Amino acid sequence: MFKQLCNRFGTPISVGIAALLLVWLIALVILPQLLMVDYSFRPNLLPSEIGGPKDSYSLVNYVTLFNNKIHLGIFFKTIWSSVMVTALTLVVSYPLAFYLAKVATPKQAALCLLLLIIPFWINEILRTFSWYIILAYNGPLNAMLQALGLIDRPLRFLSGNGGVMVGMVYAYILFMIFPLYNALESLDANQIRAARNLGASWAKTHLRIIIPHAKPGIATGCIMTFMLAAGSYAVPALLGSPGSRWFTQIIYNWFFEGGNWNQGAAYAFLLLILCIGFIGLVMKVFKVGLGDIAK
Amino acid sequence: MDSSVHLDQIVMRFGDFTAVSRTDLKIESGEFFSFLGPSGCGKTTILNMVSGFLSPTEGAIRIGGEDMRNVPANKRPTSMIFQNLALFPLMTVAENIEFGLEVRGVARSERKKVSDRLLNLVALPDSGKKKVAELSGGQKQRIAIARALAVEPRVLLLDEPLSALDLKLRQHMRTELKEIQRKTGITFIYITHDQGEALTMSDRVAVMSAGKLQQVADPMTLYRYPQTVFAASFVGENNKLTGKVSSVEDDRVSLDCGPLGQLTGTTRQSLKVGEEACLFVRPEYLRRCEADTPQSLRMTINELNFEGSFVMMDARLHANQQGVRVQLNTDAYMADLTPGAEVSFNYQPSEAIVVGGAHV
Ligand SMILES: Nc1ncnc2c1ncn2[C@@H]1O[C@H](COP(=O)(O)OP(=O)(O)O)[C@@H](O)[C@H]1O
Ligand SMILES: [Mg+2]
Repeated sequence: MFKQLCNRFGTPISVGIAALLLVWLIALVILPQLLMVDYSFRPNLLPSEIGGPKDSYSLVNYVTLFNNKIHLGIFFKTIWSSVMVTALTLVVSYPLAFYLAKVATPKQAALCLLLLIIPFWINEILRTFSWYIILAYNGPLNAMLQALGLIDRPLRFLSGNGGVMVGMVYAYILFMIFPLYNALESLDANQIRAARNLGASWAKTHLRIIIPHAKPGIATGCIMTFMLAAGSYAVPALLGSPGSRWFTQIIYNWFFEGGNWNQGAAYAFLLLILCIGFIGLVMKVFKVGLGDIAK
Repeated sequence: MDSSVHLDQIVMRFGDFTAVSRTDLKIESGEFFSFLGPSGCGKTTILNMVSGFLSPTEGAIRIGGEDMRNVPANKRPTSMIFQNLALFPLMTVAENIEFGLEVRGVARSERKKVSDRLLNLVALPDSGKKKVAELSGGQKQRIAIARALAVEPRVLLLDEPLSALDLKLRQHMRTELKEIQRKTGITFIYITHDQGEALTMSDRVAVMSAGKLQQVADPMTLYRYPQTVFAASFVGENNKLTGKVSSVEDDRVSLDCGPLGQLTGTTRQSLKVGEEACLFVRPEYLRRCEADTPQSLRMTINELNFEGSFVMMDARLHANQQGVRVQLNTDAYMADLTPGAEVSFNYQPSEAIVVGGAHV
């Protein structure tokens, strides 16, 4: 690759580009992360004690989580809820992506994609907050359901996990739709016809032909959605209730309310490690390779 | 069982564009029927209507006399071999063949029997466990046939199934397809733009152009007595000489071909004096003759191409500079036939066909 660059731009410029990239990677990505790793293994000390006898590496910060029942509970609840968000996003996105990729005319597809993308020009906080308004006890959704006579008294959408789920599905749907759309788009329409022609019902056609073909796209979408959901802060903070706290909120508290960056960093890495492990496991179960996803 | 296919007054329009003009055609049970036409003339569209992927804008498809209008694609007694085969790449060869049975809920052991039998039929035993990607083009072709036959269709639809194969394999597969059709007695609807394929395999051929049926006939009749200018030009090589009808006597028609003079041929149409018409003479019906004999054409040789069993001669008519082709037996290929030489060829009026109209 470097050779190609050299051929195209000449050696001095190529070296310059490579050097800049390296500086950017090291200074802005790798070093801060290494610093966080370093933090996470050290105790939270007063400035005067740093470098002193108490300042030694240990796993104490990591062990804290396993001794705190409440934090541990929220930790696993976050993972589980993220799985649910991912599943829900997939269920919502699949028909839409299928319609876009295989049913809609190019014009309809372009219009739909535009309608999907436009809301994302608005800041995430605002978008999430608008859901807060819609789902509120005195909000328009309750008013509408009441007017339609479907319910006789307003529902508390925001007291459980419901609000967070809806908010997250909405926030991350594009990260699911695009990989799905790409995967489905590449499916030869004759594959679907062949399945139909051989007598497969629509359900069987999806199950045996379309979904297996789209598996790498499904995996990519699910991984992105899961990681984003597990690491989300704004949505649970705005739409969550005290009962639906997200692990990121605890990390936040360690950093900015507890002032304990060491503890916060350890928690953040635990979340990262578990998420990666979980994804690895799921990929194994569904027999998806890293190569499939890169496609 | 009645496996006839009736295209009952069908029309297919996409928006303003008419892909298939009004067509009424009955394909007999057990027939090997071909649609022959250039790319884009609506052949695939017809197959898609028969298989249920498209609903005709007007009219109905009847299979075995039964109206298919409310029968979805997965419930029709048809099976299709796609232009690009559309084998399922994520399944093994056996899984591909068994797919139609699997979705019908047939037990695994039963399915295995069928796929084994079909793998034998297409002469690929022991390939069941292979991945589709491991097969060669010709093998994929046969697996597509086996997969289509596994569901025991009453009608097999083949969309240019041999177009991706090389010449040798194509000729071999022609024989094999015909053989399979004889063995199974299934109605075959075969689509091709290759007239050789259509003529060698079919019981009947429908020649199509721009969404219209031009002529439906058995291959011999189609070749000997084309009924439209398009059919005459598209099926086999033909020399087309245009003119105006000058006299009609039973099936003998004379044309006034301007600088070429009076030329006589045979027709199966009722033509009127003064009408525009074309006279078609195939390259193999032109014979060496003396100058100024009846039906003779004086020409200058452009080029001689040795084709093995014959020599194809490209020449230019003296009278109007029109190009013509003449097929010469290799033994009749005499030394005085060299590029630049001036020679005369004529034909028997019974071997030239006159068709009304001047344009395709
Ligand atoms: N779904 C469609 N929408 C619009 N036009 C179509 C559609 N399918 C086919 N056509 C048009 O109909 C004509 C016939 O197509 P087709 O039946 O595929 O031709 P072929 O004889 O090559 O198989 C073509 O001009 C094609 O562009
Ligand atoms: Mg076609």
